[in-house]
Amino acid sequence: MKNLIKTAVFAAVLGSAGAVQAQDDLRITLIPGLTTDAFYITMNRGAQAAADALGITVDFQGAEEFDPVLQTPVLDAVIGRGPDAILIAPTDSVQMIEPLRRASEAGIPVITVDTFIDDGKYQDGAGDGDFPFSYIASDNTAGGRMAARYMANQMGGEGKVYVSNVRPGISTTDQREEGFKAEMAESFPNVEVLGTQYNENDASLAASQFQAVLARNPDISGVFGANLFSALGAANGVESANKADEVTVIAFDAPTSIVNNISSGLVDAAIAQHPAEIGYYGVMTAYAVLTGNSVPVSIGTGFTVIDANNVNDDATAKFIYSE
Amino acid sequence: MTALLKIDGLRKRFGGNEAVKNVSFEVNPGECVVLAGDNGAGKSTVIKMISGVYQPTDGKVYMNGALLTGKTPEAVRTAGIETIYQDLALADNLDPGLNLYLGREAVKHVLGVPYLDRRKMREDAAKVMLSLGIVVPDPTAPVREMSGGQRQAIAIARAIHWQAGIVIMDEPTAALGVPEQREVMALIERLKKQGVGIILISHNLPDIFAAADRIIVLARGVVAGERRPAETNDEEIVRMMMGATL
Amino acid sequence: MTDNTVNGSNTNIKPGGTSFVRSLLNAWSWLFLILILGFFEIYAQTQTGSTLLFRIYNLQAISIAASQILLLGLGLTLVIVAGHIDLSIAFSTGFAAVVMALIVRTAGADADWVTVILAMLAGLGAAALVGAVNGWLVAILNVPSFIGTLGTYGIARGAALIVAGGATVSIRNDHTRAFGNGDILGLPVPLVVAAVLTLVCHYLLKHTRFGAHTYALGANRASVERAGVNVKKHLILLFILSAFTAGIGGLIYTSRFSAGAANAGEPILLYAVAAVFIGGASLTGGQGTITGTVIGAFIIAVIQFGLVFCGLPPYWQFVAVGLVIIVAVLVDQSKDRLMGGKS
Repeated sequence: MKNLIKTAVFAAVLGSAGAVQAQDDLRITLIPGLTTDAFYITMNRGAQAAADALGITVDFQGAEEFDPVLQTPVLDAVIGRGPDAILIAPTDSVQMIEPLRRASEAGIPVITVDTFIDDGKYQDGAGDGDFPFSYIASDNTAGGRMAARYMANQMGGEGKVYVSNVRPGISTTDQREEGFKAEMAESFPNVEVLGTQYNENDASLAASQFQAVLARNPDISGVFGANLFSALGAANGVESANKADEVTVIAFDAPTSIVNNISSGLVDAAIAQHPAEIGYYGVMTAYAVLTGNSVPVSIGTGFTVIDANNVNDDATAKFIYSE
Repeated sequence: MTALLKIDGLRKRFGGNEAVKNVSFEVNPGECVVLAGDNGAGKSTVIKMISGVYQPTDGKVYMNGALLTGKTPEAVRTAGIETIYQDLALADNLDPGLNLYLGREAVKHVLGVPYLDRRKMREDAAKVMLSLGIVVPDPTAPVREMSGGQRQAIAIARAIHWQAGIVIMDEPTAALGVPEQREVMALIERLKKQGVGIILISHNLPDIFAAADRIIVLARGVVAGERRPAETNDEEIVRMMMGATL
Repeated sequence: MTDNTVNGSNTNIKPGGTSFVRSLLNAWSWLFLILILGFFEIYAQTQTGSTLLFRIYNLQAISIAASQILLLGLGLTLVIVAGHIDLSIAFSTGFAAVVMALIVRTAGADADWVTVILAMLAGLGAAALVGAVNGWLVAILNVPSFIGTLGTYGIARGAALIVAGGATVSIRNDHTRAFGNGDILGLPVPLVVAAVLTLVCHYLLKHTRFGAHTYALGANRASVERAGVNVKKHLILLFILSAFTAGIGGLIYTSRFSAGAANAGEPILLYAVAAVFIGGASLTGGQGTITGTVIGAFIIAVIQFGLVFCGLPPYWQFVAVGLVIIVAVLVDQSKDRLMGGKS
């Protein structure tokens, strides 16, 4: 189903690219959650590939921390500059509604990538954050479920696990946690999910939190890192405690370091998103809007599970986020 | 002529240590009394009892016949005793006017809203400094840009402006160069001419002889002796400071 | 009969020439602001064909960003002039934001103006409480303000997170949204609020006894004590004031973003401190003005906006702000040297 949507968009865009050739001085700005994360850097790569294919320009402007207080002034300045469209990964599903509304009211189409505002369901007449044209991301809930299934299978269907997360209010990580917990509750009742630990995207805090959980629960057998730094931090904690054999660590996202982490056994598996695809379809969708086409209100990109079995395969290599 | 300031039998005990045992003296208007003594003789303790920072264990302080003992430092200031400590207690970043009026700033009202009246304060400061023989070239400049002698003058100007009857000066020439020391001595002369009574604390012999009308030597908490400069010499003063009694 | 000399020594100091140089140095931050505005405008015109200065939207965006920094920096200016510092404003903002949001949310989606105002007062009360604790630590317990406010930085942060349950507290209220995103007489509300507060703080610092004592405190605490001023009370009021202006920043935040976040003020803290020092304050106290802080806030806001607007890498803003701070200190030092200090 997702593939069908993707193909449809692609076809529509190719069609319109052929039909309207004078639009090649379009300028789109991509505002990531933060500029220093391999995930968004890879997303920008995909966006630039789409830009090249279409002959338009895509700028990459953002803050260096995942924080609405820092993202808003950047957004304001971008609006001042007046791009033809804005692709943005909003850093808070509530707080970015008003700032983005300003963009929309200034006549700049908004498309959210990776994270969403409000309920994520746009153009349906309900909610305050209804104005964006599309939401393009991995289906994070499904990704969370994938992680739960993989972990449960590694653990033989029973044991204690917990989720290492960033902070509540980020749509993507919230959904991954939801999916993970839902899958465990529905399909693996013998797995006990302990309380979630929030680390504000600080890997060292995630590491010490693992130590604390381990101290209270010596029989801990799994950690799910809902984003990159959470997983790295928890994995570090696992390693310092010499528990790499007993504890299954599943990470979300796959930067280059993940290859080492998986090969060495520190991380058992990574759910890799396809950020390049998100960036690519983001630009394509924006182009479609700007050339007068209607677009699907949501596009879901897929995942690849990377583990010791396929980490060194060529086919997997392209899903590793590069810097 | 009744004494302006009369100190009678002051005693101060700190726990087991009696810093001041029994000190009595008088100060008349236009007169400079020097409290001489070595470190630890009790000079600052006596001063602090006069200015209200310490409460005496025993004894009384009278100003113009009225009892002053036991009052707060603010009340003592209002009664007309101004104390100038060694560090002058000036705010270096403020101009002479604000320093003169510190704590009792002049305020004007514009449409009912109070505003600091900086001009009045500056003008008053310039006037008072003039009466001490000093021209302030830039009354808007912060006090830190002035020489040591001029800063001393501002501290003294405070006393004059608020019409102090008694000015107490604690080691006013310490840390000053020679020309400035002479300036301070000249200021003290002008103060005396205006009828102000001065208590000077010093253990610098040249200053003591230059400024004093009377020298009161303290040693170990008691008055070791009282002399006029003409009646004595360096050696006798030093001996009294060391503790040899009358 | 007047004379300039006392006992033969010259008591005049060098007049004239130094006051022109002094005025120039005092005006350096104005000049710098004009310079960077000019730089960005020229860059924007020549490289991107657009204008930075001549669009209302841009000026509004810059002003709102500057207002955010100002609201933390206004009360802080007085504290720094008095020779202290307040790090806890980072979370006084968030604490106020969270308390206000919590009350508005609990009252329901159709909370009326009265409820909103009560919620704001409660938020301010929470911030003032942090200020009172700071005042107590510094004035009564004589804890150095850097350390004391570092402690309350943590306590306010924790308190805000506890009250918020760890997350941001989102609200839905037409009144707050209108307040945070609307206009008064054509100007954005946050800007008007900041402007009013700026005038009040300027008046306080420059034209009242309170202000004069604040400057004196920074130069020489003993001078103020000897003058009979209740220094402890003064210090407590100063810290409550700085928490108060930061708290107002928190209320505006909640209104603008329809959510109260515990760390609303945290990224702004360093910019606020920088703005105060760019504005002429000195680490040891006794210097600094509200006007200076305003210019400092605008310099930072213009740099932030200008870099993104011109498509330059935003990391340069950190270099730029850092450089401006260093220049500020150097200008300050050369002012001292030119003036001669104590002889």
